[in-house]
Amino acid sequence: MKPAWFDYYAPRSLDEALRILADAGPNGRVLAGGQSLMPMLNCRLLNPDVLVDINRIDALNYLDVTEHHLTVGALVRHADLLHDSRVRDSWPLLFEATKQVAHPAIRNRGTVCGSVAHNDPAAEHPSVLVTLDGTVVIAGAAGRRELPAEQFFTGILSTALQPGEMVVAVRYPRPPAGTGAGFVEFARRLGDFAMAGAAATLMIRDGVCERARLTIVGMGEGPFRARAAEDVLVAHRLGLNECDEVLTEAAEKVRAAVEPADDVHASAFYRRHLAGVMAKRALEMARTRAGMH
Amino acid sequence: MAREQSIRLTVNGRVYERTVPVRLSLADFLRDHLHLTGTHLGCEHGVCGACTVSMNGRSARSCLTLAVQTDGAEIVTIEGLRAADGTRHPMQQAFLENFGLQCGYCTPGMLITAIELLRENPQPSEQDVREALSGNICRCTGYQAIVDSVLAVARDTHASEKRESA
Amino acid sequence: MSDARFINQKVVGSSVLPDEAIPLVEGDGRFLNDIHLPGMYHVAFLRSQHAHARIRTVDTTKARALPGVITVLTGKELLGKVEPFRSMPNRFSGGESVQHWLAVDKVRFCGEAVCAVVAEDRATAEDAAEFIEIDYEPLPVVTDPRLGEQEGAALVHDTCPNNYLIKREFERGNVDEAFRNAYLVVKRKFKIGRKQALCLEGRGCVAGYRESTFGLTLWISHQLPYVVRHYLANHLHLAENDIRVVVPHTGGGFGQKASIYPEEFVCAYLALRLRRAVKWVEDRLENMVASTHARDQTIEVAVAVDRDGRILALSSDVCVDVGAYSTYLWSAGMEPLQTAGLMPGPYKIPAMRYLTRGVATNKTPVGPYRAVGRPSASASLELLLDEVARRLALDPVELRARNLIPVEAMPYRNANNLVHDNVNYLACLKLAAAKAQYERLRVEQHSANGKLRGIGIACYAELTGLGTSTAVGPGTLLQPGRDAVTLRLETTGVLSIAAALPSQGQRIMTAMRQVACDELGIALDGITCVNNDTAMAPYGFGTFASRTAVFGSGAVIQAAKELRRRILALGAHLLQVPVGELTIVNSVIQTIDRAKTLPIREMAERSYFSAKNIPPELNPGFEVTSFYDPKFGSFAGGAHIAVVDVDAQTGEVNIVRYVAAEDVGTIINPAVVEGQIIGGIAQGIGEALLEELVYDEAGQPRTVTLADYLVPSALEIPRIELHHANTPSAALGGFKGCGEGSIIGALGAVTCAVADALNRRGGDIHDFPATPERVLKGLGILPNET
Repeated sequence: MKPAWFDYYAPRSLDEALRILADAGPNGRVLAGGQSLMPMLNCRLLNPDVLVDINRIDALNYLDVTEHHLTVGALVRHADLLHDSRVRDSWPLLFEATKQVAHPAIRNRGTVCGSVAHNDPAAEHPSVLVTLDGTVVIAGAAGRRELPAEQFFTGILSTALQPGEMVVAVRYPRPPAGTGAGFVEFARRLGDFAMAGAAATLMIRDGVCERARLTIVGMGEGPFRARAAEDVLVAHRLGLNECDEVLTEAAEKVRAAVEPADDVHASAFYRRHLAGVMAKRALEMARTRAGMH
Repeated sequence: MAREQSIRLTVNGRVYERTVPVRLSLADFLRDHLHLTGTHLGCEHGVCGACTVSMNGRSARSCLTLAVQTDGAEIVTIEGLRAADGTRHPMQQAFLENFGLQCGYCTPGMLITAIELLRENPQPSEQDVREALSGNICRCTGYQAIVDSVLAVARDTHASEKRESA
Repeated sequence: MSDARFINQKVVGSSVLPDEAIPLVEGDGRFLNDIHLPGMYHVAFLRSQHAHARIRTVDTTKARALPGVITVLTGKELLGKVEPFRSMPNRFSGGESVQHWLAVDKVRFCGEAVCAVVAEDRATAEDAAEFIEIDYEPLPVVTDPRLGEQEGAALVHDTCPNNYLIKREFERGNVDEAFRNAYLVVKRKFKIGRKQALCLEGRGCVAGYRESTFGLTLWISHQLPYVVRHYLANHLHLAENDIRVVVPHTGGGFGQKASIYPEEFVCAYLALRLRRAVKWVEDRLENMVASTHARDQTIEVAVAVDRDGRILALSSDVCVDVGAYSTYLWSAGMEPLQTAGLMPGPYKIPAMRYLTRGVATNKTPVGPYRAVGRPSASASLELLLDEVARRLALDPVELRARNLIPVEAMPYRNANNLVHDNVNYLACLKLAAAKAQYERLRVEQHSANGKLRGIGIACYAELTGLGTSTAVGPGTLLQPGRDAVTLRLETTGVLSIAAALPSQGQRIMTAMRQVACDELGIALDGITCVNNDTAMAPYGFGTFASRTAVFGSGAVIQAAKELRRRILALGAHLLQVPVGELTIVNSVIQTIDRAKTLPIREMAERSYFSAKNIPPELNPGFEVTSFYDPKFGSFAGGAHIAVVDVDAQTGEVNIVRYVAAEDVGTIINPAVVEGQIIGGIAQGIGEALLEELVYDEAGQPRTVTLADYLVPSALEIPRIELHHANTPSAALGGFKGCGEGSIIGALGAVTCAVADALNRRGGDIHDFPATPERVLKGLGILPNET
């Protein structure tokens, strides 16, 4: 399982990378962590003519925390997030989800932005980015642009990236006080592609849900934002340990709305059922973490 | 045509300079060019873990890393675990004493992963060990002897540290 | 057995650290892919992407023109030069299946090799393969054996009506009468998905031309070196003694490396034709389609019992999807015949009947994989017994206890004509139940805890170390059963053991060294063993069917007896004492009071270098080869108890407790045995819960990587509580095999545990692996047709 030939470049600046990418056209690929790309090359499922290795671009290797945002550059590895106490303390949803990405060796090399750009329907990061109202920072030969997460993910393994563009950073707003988060996924084995998962945040004030975000993993087209479920929750009283009925209703909305696909691991029917289970469990976790508010 | 490149890297403490095809994996480079055949290929798509080496201090799948990416890097493989005088690494010794291997094919990746685990979590629970090793497939042992090997090293390290501090 | 005059500390029975593991733990293993010969070429195979098609044309022109490509071999070139694989003759065969090494006029499964590209490196060979142009004419595909055996179905082989590669009916005792007079008859269906051994190292070979004195040397990742040599000679028209087969360190075998495959034979042909070494390494994508599959069975089983739950008769209908060809060596008969024939297991079955068939389909051929048909047979019967227990309101352990063949009845000839002796099934069941605190488990199961808990029990019998009296592959003409070992005292008094019993981690070399140490009194660290090279070892069939401990150790014991006699005879002469007063301790020949001593080293030196001073009749040479045939097999047995928690929302199954009690005879190395047992349990858990090869209706495999075919990781295997209730066998040393028994117990225990959990809510499950989806269907939470 040796890859086909490609031309390989390891530029040291973003501008140079973008130039090579633009010249390469539709058959060029960015190589960051390589944990999704290299298996495809080794299996000859993908045969890019040009590989642009961005690992030498130091300017992309940063993790920036401000009062309002966490910004993660393109070379930040999953493991880097797990080693950062600021992420663990202030972006618990991201932290928890990252813990469930594959296995240690994969997390050491794989990048957050790479996962976002790849948009595997079973991946954790796209859904987390949507739930946290994140932003994707894109660079191309024509310059930079930013997109809200939901607009970035356009379908199975598809994003709004145009030829010659790449993701240079993702940004997460700091969750407001009173927010609890929950991330759950169910895979055949720990670290496998999730059959379904849910990323939930609930902002509770005086027992009332002021804000709800719920995104479902594994539904086939990329992160599924469960708006109907969110609508059920917002403005509702969600007493700690007394909100089972409402959460169940929210889960039902999820079931009714998702349109998962069949594959060798799970039928659409099962995934739909599982989506509801995951949604409820994530919401329960979020409610508990939102604490006594 | 950028199809070959020169690299300079350190493997098990020794510096190597080579020119390599750009599509050559680090695994094949170690095995075929440097004749360090201790690192094994079990799947070439990152799942089985047999190819795991240490790259710049972190475990990595050598089947998913291109050799050209390792210019300037420090790699440690199973061959580099023993001390300069040839003494086995405590993890290797523990695997031997606790029967933590049968066919030996998964062992290189298991050792690298286990050593990294104990560096980050010196006193793991059994569940911690199993979780850390869950990305390394073994088809022979059923894992129990491997887990016991890792826990034995943790225990021995803890005991000798206690003795030293006493 | 061992002489009472030995006063060494015995090493048989202790967990001697295996020297053979040292290179592996230090990174100095020599696996197949580690072998490099100067000027070696590399082979990549172009494989069919069609499940069934006629090959119209093959154009290799562009491929050959690629720089770095040496040649491209097609099936046509091999016609007339080599013998294709004709399905192993079997008394119960359907028609004949002929497998060309490279497909000639038809391809019959996705992954079948069509061309072999030879190039300077593997990557270039793979590049070239993409330039081969083949014109295929698709043919109707057979994927469902139940449809494939109907009249009018498309045929995989024109010579095999109803696509039967094997079919057999069997009856012993009056089954109809037993069913008519039964207090209760219970029927049940069982289905197990397609598996593969998933060795971490794929297959591979290096074929060497004129390496040392042999015309052909084949390094091959394989379990049966001498058998490979035999068939190389036959099929390539070579002199058998001009071939050397060497097995390097092997990363797993489990039966998948016990068949004869086309690829390695193609490499041998190429090496001879090109007069260069040729290497092929099977990568994982290839391995998923090119190495034998296993299981994939539908079983309908029925049992007639009396009012106490005692079995009166057993009836089964077994249908196995055996894939496109009858695999070479063991035949397509292996799984179907073993599943049906060995279903009685450790239970008294007065009368039995079966209809079993292996139906050809357009999928990868099925070959032997750890325990072959026994896990499925056992699981189907164990699930049925649980149902009987439910219907009779009997405890499942009690029901089994009533039916296990008791020691008092042994030797006991069961309805399948196998004689059980020197094994205690009931002791294993009682021990497992006691250690698991079974009554308490049942109490805890019923106390409300939100958990859906199930308990599964499985008892198994495993015929190990089969000698010539019983065919390993029922009905096959290949009858193994005699393996040899050579013991040689070297000039420095160390002992060399040679055998053709390769290891894939079972520590056979260590076991034989331990036995030799005890038998001869020679220090363990002065004993080495070579077990992988036809140029060095006497004849042996190899490693399969849980036989190496029995054969290797038995042959060592036999040979050691004669070697010891010779050592003591010469020792008595040199020491001038009667033979009867001598013993050997720690490599020293000595009188029991140690008044006179002679180190073996010295005796050896004299034997080799001062022979003229020794009467010739006392110096016949200190090399003894002995063939051992235990004749009958030795039954191993066990009882496993698994406790699972089922998540009724997700369908997840978690094993929370696992207790196993095994009878594996006299144990040579406890830690090694424990490793084998736990390894087998892990594979059984994988079979029960995770592993399944899926094909679509066009015969396209859908599980093609390790992300699709899921084997257990460290998180899926619980800590196993292992206990022993051992009875020595009748074989030399009292040894039994233990490599395969535990996978039988594990599949039975875990499938029963899941069914038991579901039954608590009025559900059930018949299809395995028990994926989360099947579990929810079994609970009625998902409808059965989705």
